Amino acid sequence: MRAFNAELSKLLSLPGIWLAFLIGAFAPAVIAALDSIAQKDEIIAGVSTRLSEVGYIGLGFGVQGVIILGVLAVSSEYLTESSESSGGQQITTSLTVVSSRLHFLLAKAGAVTVISILLCIVAIMTTVSTTHLILGEYAPAFEWSRLTGAICYWSFTALLAFGFTFLTKNGILPLAVLMINSSIVSFSVLLAKVTKLAFYLPDRAGIEMFMFTSDRSHTPITGSIFDRFYTPLTGGLVMFAWVVVLLMVAAIVFHRRDVAS
Amino acid sequence: MSVSSSRKITQILGAELGKLVTLPLIWLALMWTFILNLVLAAAFTSVGLQGAAGTQSVLNIGLASMGYLQAGFIILGILATCSEYTGGQIRTTLTTIPWRGFQLSTKHLALAIITIPAAFIIATSGVLYTFFMMRDTAVVNEIDTMIQTLVGATGYLTLTTLLSAAIGALLRRTTPALVVLLGYYFIVSPLTRVFLPSIKNYLNYFPDTAGYYMYMPPSSDEINVLTPMQGTGFSMLWTLIFITVAIVFYRKRDA
Repeated sequence: MRAFNAELSKLLSLPGIWLAFLIGAFAPAVIAALDSIAQKDEIIAGVSTRLSEVGYIGLGFGVQGVIILGVLAVSSEYLTESSESSGGQQITTSLTVVSSRLHFLLAKAGAVTVISILLCIVAIMTTVSTTHLILGEYAPAFEWSRLTGAICYWSFTALLAFGFTFLTKNGILPLAVLMINSSIVSFSVLLAKVTKLAFYLPDRAGIEMFMFTSDRSHTPITGSIFDRFYTPLTGGLVMFAWVVVLLMVAAIVFHRRDVAS
Repeated sequence: MSVSSSRKITQILGAELGKLVTLPLIWLALMWTFILNLVLAAAFTSVGLQGAAGTQSVLNIGLASMGYLQAGFIILGILATCSEYTGGQIRTTLTTIPWRGFQLSTKHLALAIITIPAAFIIATSGVLYTFFMMRDTAVVNEIDTMIQTLVGATGYLTLTTLLSAAIGALLRRTTPALVVLLGYYFIVSPLTRVFLPSIKNYLNYFPDTAGYYMYMPPSSDEINVLTPMQGTGFSMLWTLIFITVAIVFYRKRDA
């Protein structure tokens, strides 16, 4: 528990964390607002095919904030300080204090999960209120099951970023891969056109926890490729399986690896 | 010690090139970009092969991966400038080269020298792969258009790299610079294009969209709003503005 508190305080005092909070809290609301404005007329006329996705699209693209959070949590530990302050790494201090590596990893993962859940709740509040502000009485009702799905999606994404960065030790690669993958031009969508196996990729499976509730939704952005493939529950389970496997691999690698290497 | 001006520039350029070439992350970034580009080209080709024969051109498919490819070059640009600030390298640099404006502009020049061949090789490899896989099914463009488009693509990637380097010099930290640039190129820009079609004409003048016209195959059925030359002009303008701003800040700021 003390390790967990320490990780929370380390995470909250990171120099780059304000960027994660800013993006995580407001990007979903901005995207949802743009989307609502773009199809306000259609919704009022009652011809919109994407009514069920209004607002959620912001939560889908807005995971950047927690990706930054998960990546920073690990890459900051491995950042080599300048030679003027003896070129140390924070990880040596951390492991001197918490000598069990498994405990260290679990405490850090716990801190990342808690903060990403809180961030997602903030994001949901801003998104829901913006949608209501713009669409007024036409705004769709937000169901609790789908909002829970969004929270799971955000925390799983944060944990994926976290595990991935433990393997690479450097923040650049996971940040680039995961940020691009959560955008419109996602690798997973491209691969899904090539092979059906891509539907098992974590982000593709996980996003079904709260998006695409209609059976066939043709969106102007994504086309028919975003057809429904799972039920929300199985989508969540597939993503959770990815998280568990990645964290296990990260734990094994972290356990075996020399800190200095 | 008085050194002639031209000699000075050659020496600074040599030093900057040496620093860039010996940065291991740069080679890693370039290698991964190359491999990923081939993988993506393969994916796009197999998507293209499923489509109707004779409807797509080799260039369209071979350059479809450009959208992803630019990420590698954004990373390259950021690494080049931000690596000075991790650790105290910047102070050593400025002790040996006490002319800040000179130093930063030569750094961009050195970066361009490395980027141009790399961008050309990587862009060409994607197109060549598509060419060999789809020779029979797709429309093969004439060699002139092909070279023109590849030069445009190289120019676009180089300008993107230089822009990223300027942003990196402004922000001085790798992660925020990376987040800002990737966020703009992959999230903000495509989303505004989808959600706000009314301001599409203004978006044409932003660096990524203007640059897009530099290599967009002319056979496309979309209306070309900017000619390749105009596109080049606008993205070059953006890059120069950002480099100037970076140099101004660099001169004013405490290292």
